[in-house]
Amino acid sequence: MNIRPARVDDLMGMQACNLQNLPENYTMKYYLYHILTWPQLSYVAEDHKGRIVGYILAKMEEDVPEGDDAHGHVTSISVLRSYRRLGLAKKLMVQSQEAMATVYRAAYVSLHVRKSNRAALSLYRDTLGFTVKDVEKKYYADGEDAYAMRLSLKHLAR
Amino acid sequence: MPPIGIPAKRALPAKESSLFKELLNLYETRQLKKGLKTADQILKKFPEHGETLCMRGLILTHMGKREEGLELVKKGVRLDLTSHICWHVFGLIQKGEKNYEEALKSYTQALRFDKENLNILRDAAHLQTQLRIYDSLVETRHTLLKLRPTLRQNWIGLAVAYHLNGNLKEARNVLEHYESTLKNIPDYDVEHSESLLYHVRVLEELGEYEDAISFLDINAKSRAIVDRVAVMEFRARLLSKMHSADAEQAWQPLIEQNPDCYDYYRGFLSNRGVDLDAVTDETRSKALQCLRDFSTQLPRANAPRRLALNIALGDEFKELAEPYLHSGLRKGIPSLFADIKALYSDAQKRQVIEDIVELERTKSEHPPQPDSSEPSTYLWTLYFLAQHHSSLSHHARALELLDTALTHTPTLPELYMLKARVLKRSGDPFGAARCMDEARLLDLQDRFLNTKAGKYRLRAGLVEEASEIFGLFTKKDAASPGADLEDMQSLLFLTEEADAHLRNGSPGLALKRYLAIQKVFADFEDDQFDFHGYSLRKFTVNPYFGLIEWEDRLRSHPAYVHSAIEASQILIRLHDDPSLATATSTSASLTDAEKKAKKKAKKAAQKVQEETKKAAGNSANEDKGLEPSPAKDDDPDGIKLLQAPEPLERAAKMLHPLRTLAASNVAAWIAIYDVAIRRKKYVQAVKALSSAHVLQADYPELHVRLVHCKRTVSSLPEPLAAPVGPVVTSTITKLVPDEQSLELFNSQYLQQHSGNARAVLATAKASRLLQASQEEVENTLFTVLNPDVSFDIKTALGGLALLNEIKSGRIEEFRTACDARFELATIFKPAGELSALRRLALEADFAKVDAEKQEVIS
Repeated sequence: MNIRPARVDDLMGMQACNLQNLPENYTMKYYLYHILTWPQLSYVAEDHKGRIVGYILAKMEEDVPEGDDAHGHVTSISVLRSYRRLGLAKKLMVQSQEAMATVYRAAYVSLHVRKSNRAALSLYRDTLGFTVKDVEKKYYADGEDAYAMRLSLKHLAR
Repeated sequence: MPPIGIPAKRALPAKESSLFKELLNLYETRQLKKGLKTADQILKKFPEHGETLCMRGLILTHMGKREEGLELVKKGVRLDLTSHICWHVFGLIQKGEKNYEEALKSYTQALRFDKENLNILRDAAHLQTQLRIYDSLVETRHTLLKLRPTLRQNWIGLAVAYHLNGNLKEARNVLEHYESTLKNIPDYDVEHSESLLYHVRVLEELGEYEDAISFLDINAKSRAIVDRVAVMEFRARLLSKMHSADAEQAWQPLIEQNPDCYDYYRGFLSNRGVDLDAVTDETRSKALQCLRDFSTQLPRANAPRRLALNIALGDEFKELAEPYLHSGLRKGIPSLFADIKALYSDAQKRQVIEDIVELERTKSEHPPQPDSSEPSTYLWTLYFLAQHHSSLSHHARALELLDTALTHTPTLPELYMLKARVLKRSGDPFGAARCMDEARLLDLQDRFLNTKAGKYRLRAGLVEEASEIFGLFTKKDAASPGADLEDMQSLLFLTEEADAHLRNGSPGLALKRYLAIQKVFADFEDDQFDFHGYSLRKFTVNPYFGLIEWEDRLRSHPAYVHSAIEASQILIRLHDDPSLATATSTSASLTDAEKKAKKKAKKAAQKVQEETKKAAGNSANEDKGLEPSPAKDDDPDGIKLLQAPEPLERAAKMLHPLRTLAASNVAAWIAIYDVAIRRKKYVQAVKALSSAHVLQADYPELHVRLVHCKRTVSSLPEPLAAPVGPVVTSTITKLVPDEQSLELFNSQYLQQHSGNARAVLATAKASRLLQASQEEVENTLFTVLNPDVSFDIKTALGGLALLNEIKSGRIEEFRTACDARFELATIFKPAGELSALRRLALEADFAKVDAEKQEVIS
């Protein structure tokens, strides 16, 4: 599959992919806000017909307390079930992290995952190297807790 | 005495004048209740003071009293037509209602009386952009820059305005001027970096590649541009366009950075004179060598290996395909078939692939040592072959392979998903829905499987039952699963449910869903508004141009095109037979279960509404904003939509964007014709047919329209007057020979396409238009059953629909014949059997519930 930076005309495909895969969904405006604020951080995987089969939607954390490092945040990442086992999530994540580190000098990247989502947890922890930093109580609208996970980007600093 | 220049009716004594200033202040800080009181104080003494009336109206609108507010504003404007405040307020409210055209008119009025008001100018610029009035936009941006040259975004704003208006040279001048005024740019300023990248883009679009590259290099080197990927991409592209010897060096690091980006290989190779999308015999070996080198250099990258398969031929193809397929099967990559299917357009490659995988199957079926071979390779090989045969319409063979695989491993959702797909393709939507449900039950945490299962239930016409499945993942506080999916702009759901309603004979509900799709697109169009200002503040100009281009082509999206065509067809049916609007009272045909579900949904919706009301009441925020809150749904079955006046005008409006945005879609032109001819827009109608004719002269539905058009025009009570008449006649003559009778035209079409079922169906429809006897129409249609006619399920359903329309006595005969012809299909079973089939589709779910119950008991 073709991996490349996301453009505005990919957003509908990303939104469709997200709705098909994940319970956390967003309206188009939120996608637009990402790409028109941090255009370097989101990537897509597309098939031969140009259909979006995976994406990472990412941003920089905006309200960073004084003294804390600038850091990126993965708003959403997913790959269609029928396109798994190709390592697409990792490839997408690596591209985005590289951009976070070089463009915004991010020290680390964070993300949230549902406590019950074992498949995603194992992807982030075992495949992508994230560690659990904290548990955020009732992070999700339905009352479920989230693991707050982090991965250092210091090795990418230039 | 009022100050000079202020009309007497606007002037206020000192006390009220300061109250008015306070009122403006209170509004700015959104202290609405206090503002209202202050306005009332002024109005007690000066009830005709236009500006105060407008401000009071504006505040009321913010507080949710929209109608009362609007009345006041209109009154205020009438009482003081030369006040910029009155017009500004009016414009704000119109903008809130997304009535951008009227809003801009009000803003233009406001600017007549206050030429240098920054807020009004800025809003006007956004409206001009939204409405694509770019020459006025340039003027507005000019004024803004003149008034505030120290504000960086005003410079970028003017450059963007020139650019949008097609004047790249001026855009460049503005940018150069702007950069020369900059002082003290902090290090690592991403915003500055973005504005420089915009400058590079302008130079590239001007064709000034040398300037672009030196500008880029200087600013990349000084680290003023911080986006490394963008720098590399611009560099490589520009150097390639310049045919520079350095281009290759520029593509190489991009490939190393992201070795799975196809464009980078395309760029690299184009520089060596190879067009990867049109490889010739001369360039083939060079390209393959190059891709081989990359495959060795970048062992983890898939792209060079996959691209090589596109261009390799013969033995070399086989040599490359073998490891590619083996590795995919061994790793159990579910998308392997989808990945290589594009190669099937070459029959030779298809055969080679089949042979390789067949061989693999024989090998893995009988592994030399029972434990050595991965058991899953065998499974994925069967999975691959089933997809292979399904794509060639060997449905029975595909099912056979899948059954072997399922016996081997009954717990892999992918196998059930594929089986569902094969059954769907062979005309068994009920079996398909059941299989997809089995897949879903194997991994209840996976929304992907859930979405598929819901979709397949919709395909089987099980709308309520689909909703239950979707509801497992939608928000619990939504009025219904469908309401959440609509809020989240799920075009997949809206499209599938609309189509299901249509097949189920509920045009009102279908129309409602199609209009919901169109609403999503209208919202996408509105979404850009805030970014006309935001992107300038953030300097993200390059992606902003992407936004503008996307918005301009928004309604070319297949979901919009489909919704416009299908909805217009419903509206046409309503025009032709207005009784349809009253005939479909849905409640009568509901089963008890459906009624119950409906009642439940209604209750849930009520509860949500009450809760939101409560929440709104409790919130300290009295400001409801200027956008109207969504109206509550008072038409749950879409009956009012069916009964709304002027169906044709509504249809014409939704089809309008397709003229430019779906100009290569024959079906779109047919829909445009259908509406135009009924609206008696004859020139528009014949032009639509001409456009369709250019695209596909023998398109079956076009044939029907040609007959319809000529017949309609020639049977007009009076010939069409000039200039319309001659245009229409000459256009038709080009499409349908004048000297021929329509009957002959029709039978010749049939002769030419007698082996094509869709053409046969079209001929039958056309003879019906020509008032042939029922027997003749039936006889024509029944020739689709001849063994030498290539017949498909969709056309068979079309045939059944036609027989129903003409109230034929041979419906059962046709149905039985189709049932025999499509062995695996269930949709042609007798009506009595269909309800049993529907139950069967839900069987997997029931079985699971039963099993759970038993577990509880034991």
